[in-house]
Amino acid sequence: MSNKLNIVQAVNQALMNEMENDKTVIVYGEDVGLEGGVFRATVGLQEKFGKERAFDTPLAESAIVGTGVGMAINGLKPVVEMQFMGFSYPAFNQIISHVSRMRNRTRGGITLPMVIRAPYGGGIRALEHHSESTEAIYAHIPGLKVVIPSTPYDAKGLLIAAIRDPDPVLFLEPKRIYRAFKQDIPEEAYVLPIGKAKIVEEGKDVTIITWGAMVRDVQKASEMVKSKGIIPEIIDLRTISPMDRDTIIESVKKTGRAIVVHEAPKSFGVGAEIVSIINEKAFLYLEAPPTRVTGFDTIFPLPRGEKHYIPSPERIAKTIEDVVKF
Amino acid sequence: MKYEFRFPDIGEGIREGTLMKWLVHEGEDIEEGQSLAEVETDKVTTEIPSPRTGKVLELKFEEGDTIEVEQVFITISIGGESENSQAPEEQEVVEEETAGVVGEVIASSELIPASTEGMITSSKESDEAKKVLATPVARQLAKDLNVDIRTVQGTGPNGRVMKEDINKTKETSQPIQQVKAAEISSDSIVYSDSERIERIPLTRIRKTIAEQMVVSRFTIPHTTAMDEIDVTALDEFRNKYKDRLKTEDVNLTYLPFIIKAVINILKEYPEFNSSYDMENQELLLKHFYHIGIATDTDRGLMVPVLRDADKKSIVHIAKEIEDLTSRAKNNKSELHELKGSTFTITNFGSIGGLFGIPIINYPESAILGMGRIVKKPIVKDDEIVIAKVLPLSLSYDHRIIDGASGARFLNLLSQLLSDPEILLMKS
Repeated sequence: MSNKLNIVQAVNQALMNEMENDKTVIVYGEDVGLEGGVFRATVGLQEKFGKERAFDTPLAESAIVGTGVGMAINGLKPVVEMQFMGFSYPAFNQIISHVSRMRNRTRGGITLPMVIRAPYGGGIRALEHHSESTEAIYAHIPGLKVVIPSTPYDAKGLLIAAIRDPDPVLFLEPKRIYRAFKQDIPEEAYVLPIGKAKIVEEGKDVTIITWGAMVRDVQKASEMVKSKGIIPEIIDLRTISPMDRDTIIESVKKTGRAIVVHEAPKSFGVGAEIVSIINEKAFLYLEAPPTRVTGFDTIFPLPRGEKHYIPSPERIAKTIEDVVKF
Repeated sequence: MKYEFRFPDIGEGIREGTLMKWLVHEGEDIEEGQSLAEVETDKVTTEIPSPRTGKVLELKFEEGDTIEVEQVFITISIGGESENSQAPEEQEVVEEETAGVVGEVIASSELIPASTEGMITSSKESDEAKKVLATPVARQLAKDLNVDIRTVQGTGPNGRVMKEDINKTKETSQPIQQVKAAEISSDSIVYSDSERIERIPLTRIRKTIAEQMVVSRFTIPHTTAMDEIDVTALDEFRNKYKDRLKTEDVNLTYLPFIIKAVINILKEYPEFNSSYDMENQELLLKHFYHIGIATDTDRGLMVPVLRDADKKSIVHIAKEIEDLTSRAKNNKSELHELKGSTFTITNFGSIGGLFGIPIINYPESAILGMGRIVKKPIVKDDEIVIAKVLPLSLSYDHRIIDGASGARFLNLLSQLLSDPEILLMKS
């Protein structure tokens, strides 16, 4: 059976599926229970599975993650929600000091099957701390997987894979496209492999590596340049860490050019990491310097500045042309 | 569905062509295989056939424009649909009420295609991977020196193109570049009545001929040997069979005999059927005999190639020459027929000259020019007799062929052509 769902509904269905399949899956966070989450990702869970398995917590991110550590050690599978990625900083100590290093600290004795969900990215005219894209900070921490879907199908398959993963996964949901489109997806549970990128469009002139909400903007840019005879290859990374290096390298070897598009600030970001991988592994194939199209090195702006900050299809298309012409 | 037809790579390293004539117009229904346009490349004028059946949507270039390989030059509507159809998905784009306490999440019920793992929307089959390995600094050097890096033979690990390889390639082509750089521009020449000068842009083929001539003249130190050969006996022999063969549609000229004689000599003196590889300081001896036949056409000098001439009879050669040259004159030559000769013969005598200094068809090592056969008094057995005399001019690469060899070549040719029976015995 299939059903037409948007990303937030796909997240909800994934949680439903896994809570049905596995009684150890526990979902909680701020407003997660009664209200069903600020974006309605957890709607209906408390009704269906009761207050013991889907419940609200105080405004205390450190406690939310910290209790998850205890639950996971003791056999549960907590799926906690950070209401916004920008609210995760109070839990940063728990994440970096305990969540990410439990397996290493116990020399493999204890794994931590825990998922931290967080809506991320801008573009919804929200308040300060509500639009962050700090995936680079988390991807830099060894022991933590960072997954970002870009479609309803991927959101469901990757979230179920994250819940079933024996290790902790930070699952970031691009809220700008939470409800922007729907897709026919299976009602039953399925998994997509974590750590595997997807080639969204095959091309030959330039490889564009991106993820999350930017995938659709890159596709729009790709349509713009196709009329000029440029055929980009688009890679949706889907997992930031561990990164699917092989898919990137193979594609860049084929096209000779690379552009990374992300919403986060430019400096010290995931884009820089990808460019380094390309330089290390595909240097001899390059016909132009690997380039980044990103947000800027500032705090994410308030509503009026958003559209200048997030890379637009026009900005991406211009860069594609520049790189191909180089 | 819209199909974008890109100017195809018709091979032989050709990167661009001039659109001579559209053979279809916008809105026209076309069949797969139907000729779309006449395009002139460096070597040939060729018709480009349509890869699809459909309707012409847009002609992207004007006649006279230059089209580069891979550029879209025509769009075709295929599959019976009208233009620009992108197979619209069912799109009941109904705005939904935003759900969320914070911000404005754009909501829409636009449906994107159902996904399966590994789904790829392929806009075009991907091309074969680019194979040139080179560091960016080497690529930059190639760009600066105007060297096409794809043509450079790499000597580094795994065939990587090194900076030295690019420099070497540049040096090899240096003489040509220098001449180009000299730019003997008529702009710099001041004419008092410049308004009476018409400027006509060169055709692509004429430009190529010009470049080839410059390459040959400035790369190869030419020298030319000349001689007159008594072909009275050959003429009689030819006359004996000419009419009979005409009934079989064979036009028996002197050329097939000359080709036969030349091949005899090329086998004896292989340096005349060779090329000089200056970069590696090697002589490339060719153990096959592809004879270029310089042919005067409306568009300029073309050189169709008679392949493996040593394996063909005189009658066969006569027929093939007729076919090759008439197609060259009618602009029907195929690209491969204009490449790969090992020795060239040019017959300026058919138009009237006696002697000339033919320019070698680079990178060959020699070219034979035939003058007009004239009746002349000659001394034979101490008597003055009237003979049919063929004037010959042999230009050769003096780097690898000495004057003595040039003289021997013509002596041998004289022996063979003055006695057709000997020629036939040896062929």
